[in-house]
Amino acid sequence: MTTTQHHAPSEVAIAATARGLAKTYGHDDHVVHALRGVDLTLPAGRFTAIMGPSGSGKSTLMHCLAGLDAATAGAVTVAGRDLTGMDDTALTLFRREHIGFVFQAFNLLPMLTAGQNILLPLELSGRPVDRARYADVVEVLGLADRLGHLPSQLSGGQQQRVAIARALVTRPDLVFADEPTGNLDSEASAEVLGHLRRSVRELGMTVVMVTHELDAAAYADDVVVIHDGAVTAHLVEPDQDQLVAALRRRGPGR
Amino acid sequence: MNAGVRTVLLASLRRHTRRYVAAAVAVVIGVAFVVVTDALSRATRDGLTADVAAPYGDAGLVVTPDTQEEADALVAAAREDGTAVAAEGYATEPVFAAGVRLSPSVRVREAATDPAMQYLELLDGRQPTRAGEALADAGDAEEQRVGVGDVLVVGSAGAATEVTVVGLVDGPASVDASLYLPWDDLRRLEESLWVQAVAWGGSDERALEVAPDATVTPTDEHVAAVQAEIARGVDYLSYMALLFVAIALFVAVMVIANTFSILFAQRMREFALLRCVGVTRRQLRRSVRLEALVLGLVASLAGVALGLVGGVAVVALVGVWFDDIGAVSFGPTWLVGSVLVGTAVTTGAAWLPTRAVTRVAPLAALRPDTGVDVRDAAGRLRVASAVLLLLGGTALLAACLASSSLGLMLAGGVAVFLGVLLLGPLLVPAAIRLAGRLAGDGPVRRLATGNAVRNPRRTATTAASLLVGVTLTTAVLTGLATSRTTLADEMDLSYPVDAAVSALDAPLPDGTAEQVAAVEGVTEVVELRGTMATVAGVEVPVAEVDGRQPVVRGDRDLAPAQGQLLLPWQVGNEVAGKAQRQLARDQTATVVVGDRSLELEVVHESGWGAVVLVPPGTLDALEAASATVAVWARADDGTDAGDLADALESRAAAAGGELEEGFSNRSWVDLQVDILTGAVVGLLGVAVLIALLGIANTLGLSVLERGRENALLRAMGLTRQQLQRSMAVEGLLLSLVATVLGTLLGVAFAWVGARVMISGVVDELSMTLPVGQLLLVVAVAALAGLGACVVPARRAARVAPAAGLALD
Repeated sequence: MTTTQHHAPSEVAIAATARGLAKTYGHDDHVVHALRGVDLTLPAGRFTAIMGPSGSGKSTLMHCLAGLDAATAGAVTVAGRDLTGMDDTALTLFRREHIGFVFQAFNLLPMLTAGQNILLPLELSGRPVDRARYADVVEVLGLADRLGHLPSQLSGGQQQRVAIARALVTRPDLVFADEPTGNLDSEASAEVLGHLRRSVRELGMTVVMVTHELDAAAYADDVVVIHDGAVTAHLVEPDQDQLVAALRRRGPGR
Repeated sequence: MNAGVRTVLLASLRRHTRRYVAAAVAVVIGVAFVVVTDALSRATRDGLTADVAAPYGDAGLVVTPDTQEEADALVAAAREDGTAVAAEGYATEPVFAAGVRLSPSVRVREAATDPAMQYLELLDGRQPTRAGEALADAGDAEEQRVGVGDVLVVGSAGAATEVTVVGLVDGPASVDASLYLPWDDLRRLEESLWVQAVAWGGSDERALEVAPDATVTPTDEHVAAVQAEIARGVDYLSYMALLFVAIALFVAVMVIANTFSILFAQRMREFALLRCVGVTRRQLRRSVRLEALVLGLVASLAGVALGLVGGVAVVALVGVWFDDIGAVSFGPTWLVGSVLVGTAVTTGAAWLPTRAVTRVAPLAALRPDTGVDVRDAAGRLRVASAVLLLLGGTALLAACLASSSLGLMLAGGVAVFLGVLLLGPLLVPAAIRLAGRLAGDGPVRRLATGNAVRNPRRTATTAASLLVGVTLTTAVLTGLATSRTTLADEMDLSYPVDAAVSALDAPLPDGTAEQVAAVEGVTEVVELRGTMATVAGVEVPVAEVDGRQPVVRGDRDLAPAQGQLLLPWQVGNEVAGKAQRQLARDQTATVVVGDRSLELEVVHESGWGAVVLVPPGTLDALEAASATVAVWARADDGTDAGDLADALESRAAAAGGELEEGFSNRSWVDLQVDILTGAVVGLLGVAVLIALLGIANTLGLSVLERGRENALLRAMGLTRQQLQRSMAVEGLLLSLVATVLGTLLGVAFAWVGARVMISGVVDELSMTLPVGQLLLVVAVAALAGLGACVVPARRAARVAPAAGLALD
């Protein structure tokens, strides 16, 4: 396969790696293998999409990479830190410092204004607010006139932009976006995806996005394809045909 | 019912059972409260009425004499005729053993010498056969260390009669006496003897012949009337208890209504989906109301079960101290009634929330889920009626202060309280925000404050349920503390000296003051010097008092001014003849010692024993020798009054003096207030318990609906501890605000109540804030609020962020 290529670690800075990552749910007769030995290296400063059909394990992979869930086996390294064996508090503190999140829905706390939502991660960790960064992020995402609004007063696209701003304001090593456009119409989707790409290009962030939409994946630099809990392709700047071909192929387990 | 709807109903009951637990427990507690109240009052009533007929023996008639002379004549006539007779009545007299007063007032009844009329259960010794032989109640005898063969003197001075205890008995509950004397001894205590009725074995003609003005009733009728009287007293008490049951149920209604509205809000999508697939509005409404009905019925039955167990336990427990209580039993009417009440309370409380359910549009299922909607805090109508109630209630309270009308006070109090409850959705969140700000800044506290106020109605209802209990508790505590102080002021006036040992016929021996001071509990003594004298013709000790003595309590000084003497009423009553005329005309009395005399202006006072108090210098003027004539003592407030009186009594007897003490009256009043406080707070405790359950419930249900949100916060770096802490702060803010608000209201109500109820009875009202108790209420409620969120907080923190994000 000429399209599949692992990045040589020496050339590019690495944001995160997974080695032999496995995750099972249930026990005895009802074991579900969400991840079956995933090996993955995510380069820094790139916009990577993780794609796969629903139930393929892409969300589980993201949760494990982000320290939201503990893997059953294998190792995860993010920003040079090994997450394996960290307890809940250590993981939480790690997320605070190094990771930003954008979810599909329920991204914002309903009782806080947009501005308060953006600053919440900084407040939780007790870090001082970098006013210049805040202004920068707000400016890039075009939220300056919405900061005093409650989430219920914002459109879906605006809510996701607030969520992106919140993820970026802490300068995380890695931003995870889980189906960030799942609830949006195509226009708002394009806008949100454009913002994610700009945050990589212009602010130098690393973004990993889980999605099942081809249109969304098209905004990414790289695409990781996952089937049945295993990575079947890691495409660098693929074109539409390569992507479709990779998605059609079944995993090695079948 | 439609089969489809039934399927949905059963499935939803199964699925939501755990979420209904708190509402069910509120009903269980309320219903159990009713059943236990009934069990206790039935057992008490049965115990107290069981042996009412015993003293009447075989006598077929009961004669109610018009006068005590008729009673005497009836007994005498029956003896002459040889028919059965027994006097129903008692005397209250002091009892002495070996010259020491055992008790100042002992209830004495008749002990029948006729074997046919002997109904007392003999535990030791034998029944009396003639005058001079007495029976003693076994329990009281043990307390006073009196046994068979002991000689007692009953009554004082001329009426005193000497008896030998020949037996120890256990009387029935309806017969409350410590000592039983044969009629010939009993009738000598005529000062205090009061015979209500005479059991009469003869004919009614004969009875009317002996006592023409008496009423004759068949024994059965008389017994039934007495039993009914006792039952009414017990019923009255159980109605009082039902008042607290009603308060507890009122709180339960709030908790249940809140539970239903939270649950229904969480299930809105589910309801909308049902509407989408073709369930009609009516079917949906019936289904959720049936859910409430089933819940109410099941919880009520569980409540009855708990009440049955609790009733047996409580009656057994009470039986430890109160052996006259009867066997435990349960009235079917009350059991059925309590189930009906519990079910009605549940369905009634669910009524309003179920109306909201039926308003849900089928389309709501199709809209993206935006979480639980935050309803507006308060409509204009709500605010307007709240303000109207507050203003009207305040006006009524002001009016009741002026008119001392209890009705106005109750109406005003209820109106103000309802106004506060209605205003809750504005008031409580504002108070919580303020309290949150006072607690300082920081993400955890801000999160807690934000969560606590995000659903103003839910927050207000949760707070209101606690508010009811706290307001009533603090009102009662403050009211009773005020009564206690006011009563204490009254007691200070009536009993300025805790204990006074006064000379009788001769001065007290040296060292009496030291003897009295050595008694445990005595904190201070003062020795009064004086002499034996004749005042207004009465032989009495005279003591010089130089200014106010430190042992004296209250506003009275007990220090006569120059030219005056203080004449106690015991002495004043004995003044006769010329001296009495002088006293009445000139308000003066002559003090004579030997051949010297002195005329002083008389001031009538009392409260320190039979000693005339004179100003300093009087003895010199009379050239009298000075000796100790009285010792006054002050006791520590916590001292056991009985022990103190016994110890002082023996010191007084040893010194040949007489004891007068006000301390036991003072501590009796204190004890009554303590008992009342304990009982009321205990009964209100049930309502507070239900309210705390409501707080735990609201927090617990909120945790469930905030699952996604908490997961989000955890993803962004909120640690488990921070999450738990924020929930603890949320519970604390909620309970603290409710408690502080309740305390303010309670104190205000108590102030009005005390003004209206107490100031009519006494001249001066001393408003007292039981600061310690109020702080304790706040602390207990705050801690309980904190405790109420332990379980929800742990549950919330246990959820892994990834699992929480997967919730819908």
